[in-house]
Amino acid sequence: MLVVDNIDAAYDQVQVLFSLSLSVKRGEILCLLGRNGAGKTTTLKSIMGLVSVQKGSIKLDDQVLSDLQPHKIPAAGIAYVPQGRRLFAELSVKQNMDIGLMARGAGADTFESVLEMFPRLKERLKQRAETLSGGEQQMLAMARALCMKPRIILLDEPTEGLQPSMISLIRDVILKLKQENVAVILVEQHVDSAMKMADRVAFIEHGRNPETMTGEQLQQNPATIRKYLGVE
Amino acid sequence: MEFGPYLFIASLEGAITAAVLALTAVGLSIVFGIMRVVNVAHGEFFMLGAVIAWWVTSMITAHPALGFVAALIVAPLLVGLLAIVSDHLVLRRINYDPERTIVATIGLLYVIQQTTLMTFGPEARPVEAPFNKRIALPWFELGENGFVLTWPWGLSTTTYKLAVIAAAIVILLILWLVMSRTRLGLIMRATQLDSEMAQAHGIHVDKVYALVFGLGAGLAALGAVLIVPIQQAHYLMGGDPLLLSFIVVIIGGLGSVAGTIVAAVLIGMSDGIISVFFTPTLAKIIATLLVAFVLVFRPQGLFGKPER
Ligand SMILES: Nc1ncnc2c1ncn2[C@@H]1O[C@H](COP(=O)(O)OP(=O)(O)O)[C@@H](O)[C@H]1O
Ligand SMILES: [Mg+2]
Repeated sequence: MLVVDNIDAAYDQVQVLFSLSLSVKRGEILCLLGRNGAGKTTTLKSIMGLVSVQKGSIKLDDQVLSDLQPHKIPAAGIAYVPQGRRLFAELSVKQNMDIGLMARGAGADTFESVLEMFPRLKERLKQRAETLSGGEQQMLAMARALCMKPRIILLDEPTEGLQPSMISLIRDVILKLKQENVAVILVEQHVDSAMKMADRVAFIEHGRNPETMTGEQLQQNPATIRKYLGVE
Repeated sequence: MEFGPYLFIASLEGAITAAVLALTAVGLSIVFGIMRVVNVAHGEFFMLGAVIAWWVTSMITAHPALGFVAALIVAPLLVGLLAIVSDHLVLRRINYDPERTIVATIGLLYVIQQTTLMTFGPEARPVEAPFNKRIALPWFELGENGFVLTWPWGLSTTTYKLAVIAAAIVILLILWLVMSRTRLGLIMRATQLDSEMAQAHGIHVDKVYALVFGLGAGLAALGAVLIVPIQQAHYLMGGDPLLLSFIVVIIGGLGSVAGTIVAAVLIGMSDGIISVFFTPTLAKIIATLLVAFVLVFRPQGLFGKPER
């Protein structure tokens, strides 16, 4: 469904991605694993058109995203939950979600169904985003993205710095999206959870993707983890 | 005249300065807040508003009110359009880089000013007010039988001056409604808070920037049309509004619209009062000193939030 084919990407003059390729299908969870600074966030930003892609192409079905103006990419059905949440801090919970609804013209029914997934937000619709707790902010970042009714969702370390109860809630939502046939690209820090949730795991190292394997293959090859992450 | 009524007159003059300054400074403030562009040419957009008002009113002469109403519509639109073109041709090409936009808008300032000098000429030209009835104002005095209403000689204003204050309030109210209640306002605020995330949600940031730059310039032009029946149009008239707008935006807190309005009232009123009692120069000196104090002791402005 989404195919990232051989891309180079750079911030101004500094090249960060080198001939990187990836793909993800409907209803599949692809996990990106790699050390800090490996280029995971940059990979997601390239898909969103937020960094310049100099070579290669990014396609969603037959649509070439890398040829679109950046603001037209979300309309193709891609939602982005960035690292560090990046909510519109001074806007209310409702207004943050409204921005998501506007992106693809979703209506009140979408709004209601997203709120059902995150009942805590329902009680805080008028509150400013910056006054929410860390976990609630992450919920809102997910909710804002889901208001776009995405066909594919890019999640950058969505469980970073959260309590265990909150982590499992976020994971349940991700699994639910998979069941609804949404394609998921998930950047994860926790290897265990990556192995449990992912259909496939793509390693990122120095802006390249040297290896992609299924979750099971990974479990049988702990040496790979040591190689790319330097941990057990 | 006694001190009380005299102060009242001075405050009224100050309120007019404040009203026009609020419009102009809010224009500068939203451009800075949303685009992070310091628009040094803002005063020239103000000047152009006045010049276009003169031009429109001298073409439509059937009735002074008719020409003036046309100017109220045409001047902000033309100036806004010019700003949008400048955004496309200049600011977008230098990627809204903060330092380079300052230099570029200084260039824009001279281009606009000199083009006006070459076409409009160096004279100051008057614009007739659409209505201008002198009205006497009452004053209260504590007499032997309590407060009594008096009509001191010379205590008067004009209907037009009062209308300027009312118009500025209405325009600012409309702006506030647009910013806080509409979809467009939401899009502008989201762009201001995080332009990259706005783009990741399908907001066409370049279009928002063009619109905001046009809106900012249009507000300055609107302020100028309102004041030109009182002040006359002149190709150098952009200097004071630029200086005062910067002062107001810094004191109010960069990018804070509410702070800008409060600061405009503060600076406009004191400018009016000090100008009446002493000299306009002293008023500018005090305002500039106030900015220096704010920058030293409260760099985020009186109403701004500290940088995070
Ligand atoms: N805005 C930026 N400008 C320049 N270089 C950047 C920027 N953001 C990230 N980089 C660089 O790109 C590389 C990859 O970063 P990133 O994609 O954030 O890694 P990851 O998400 O895997 O930790 C790093 O070397 C980082 O220093
Ligand atoms: Mg990252």
